[in-house]
Amino acid sequence: MKRLFAVALGILTAIGGFVDIGDLVTNAVVGSRFGLGLAWVTVLGVVGICLYANMSGRVAAVSGRATFEIIRERLGARAGMANLAASFLINLMTMTAEIGGVALVFQLVTGIDPLLWVPLAAFGVWIVVWRAKFSALENATGLLGLSLIVFAVAVFLLQPDWGHLGMQLIPRIPESESGSTYWYYAIALFGAAMTPYEVFFFSSGGIEEGWTVKDLGQTRANVLVGFPLGGILSIAIAACATLVLLPQAIDVTSLSQVVLPVVQAGGTIAFGFVVVGIAAATFGAALETTLSSGYTLAQYFGWSWGKFRRPARAARFHLIMLIGLVIAVLVLLTGVDPIAVTEFSVVFSAIALPLTYIPILIVANDRQYMGRHVNGKLVNALGLVFLVVIVAASVAAIPLMIITGAGQ
Amino acid sequence: MLLTELLRMRVVEVDGTEVGRVVDARFRIDAQGGARLVGLIVSPHTRAPFLGYERAALDEPLVLDRFLRWLHRGSFLVDWPDVRRLDDDGLHLREGYERRPSTLP
Repeated sequence: MKRLFAVALGILTAIGGFVDIGDLVTNAVVGSRFGLGLAWVTVLGVVGICLYANMSGRVAAVSGRATFEIIRERLGARAGMANLAASFLINLMTMTAEIGGVALVFQLVTGIDPLLWVPLAAFGVWIVVWRAKFSALENATGLLGLSLIVFAVAVFLLQPDWGHLGMQLIPRIPESESGSTYWYYAIALFGAAMTPYEVFFFSSGGIEEGWTVKDLGQTRANVLVGFPLGGILSIAIAACATLVLLPQAIDVTSLSQVVLPVVQAGGTIAFGFVVVGIAAATFGAALETTLSSGYTLAQYFGWSWGKFRRPARAARFHLIMLIGLVIAVLVLLTGVDPIAVTEFSVVFSAIALPLTYIPILIVANDRQYMGRHVNGKLVNALGLVFLVVIVAASVAAIPLMIITGAGQ
Repeated sequence: MLLTELLRMRVVEVDGTEVGRVVDARFRIDAQGGARLVGLIVSPHTRAPFLGYERAALDEPLVLDRFLRWLHRGSFLVDWPDVRRLDDDGLHLREGYERRPSTLP
């Protein structure tokens, strides 16, 4: 019974934890401009993150090594350092977007300028990272994040013409858009679904919680059930935008457009749910990215790390997170639009994907680390297919960003 | 001397022919647990790391294995005593130095 409860809890937090500000904004933007014509990318991204998160979790459980320790060991000091610099910067960008997202939710509720909420949101993240237990922070934000199911409920409440909505799932480029914007947003969605911090957090979290080979079944269930359900939430967000924003040609420039379809469908109660859901999802992701900034740096340099250690026992790990939060606040206080930061962060995540995923694939095949738990033939075949997709997305991202003027 | 100074260094024979770049160093752990430098791995075509594929036991995924082995084709191990001197020009090998296989079991 206890075991069943643990599995259920893991799955539920994986669903709530899957969606972050990147998924919220990108899916709403894509839905409002392309309908469901890019939903296939979310499906692809979910398969990819399931595959690689599961691989990194297995490596963590079997070898006791988290992702960045592996990157350092496999790539060596120099290439590892280049990888660290890129991964750390992109993670910092995602972290900035998440904290901006928390501030935007508070703005949505109170009407007060998000700039005033930014320091408070960052302080909240810091105090939780400093004081709260790992499992408590993961479970609380994951479970509250489940309120985002209201997006799926809203799709039903909006009483769509299902046949028409279903037809939209066929990939096609709308007449109002060019091929290059279509592919630019395809890469953005792919980056949002496969964000590298999810893997840093997932594998380091496995070590925080002391996974062993015995826990492999449970981690697999969390990933293989939780993430696809999270992916369905992502598609529901896009579907809401498709039904309400697309016909009226409403641009997504703030969170109020993201929640508009939900409010139109379910009124005040739905608004309550969506606010709690977005607050939990962005706050949870802010915690995860903040921890990831500490994990990546500490694992590369071999510092002691982890929330299972008291802050004084992992001083540099905690200091890095504090510095990261200060930088994120300073960036947001310049007045940059958090939505714009989010849109850039998902594309830069897509660019960085090979840096994270290639070393994981290699080590998951290494018997010195993995013993008999190396990848099977099928996982390797899928892993290679995704490697091709990941590298293609990474290479195409910057040219497409320039051609489209970042999706304009 | 630091190991990072050796890595990526040009490797030249007595007559000045460049034979590759230093891509790795090989150590042996002795009975006391200390590491002794055996020699350097020289790769003729690339400065990229082996990513673990210097070991014969790691051969999956096949595509990556083949690609990295192709990249490092012709790579060899030179024993440290076969190194004559180091200067700004690179790492100079002794006459009649031995090219030993770079692959680990």
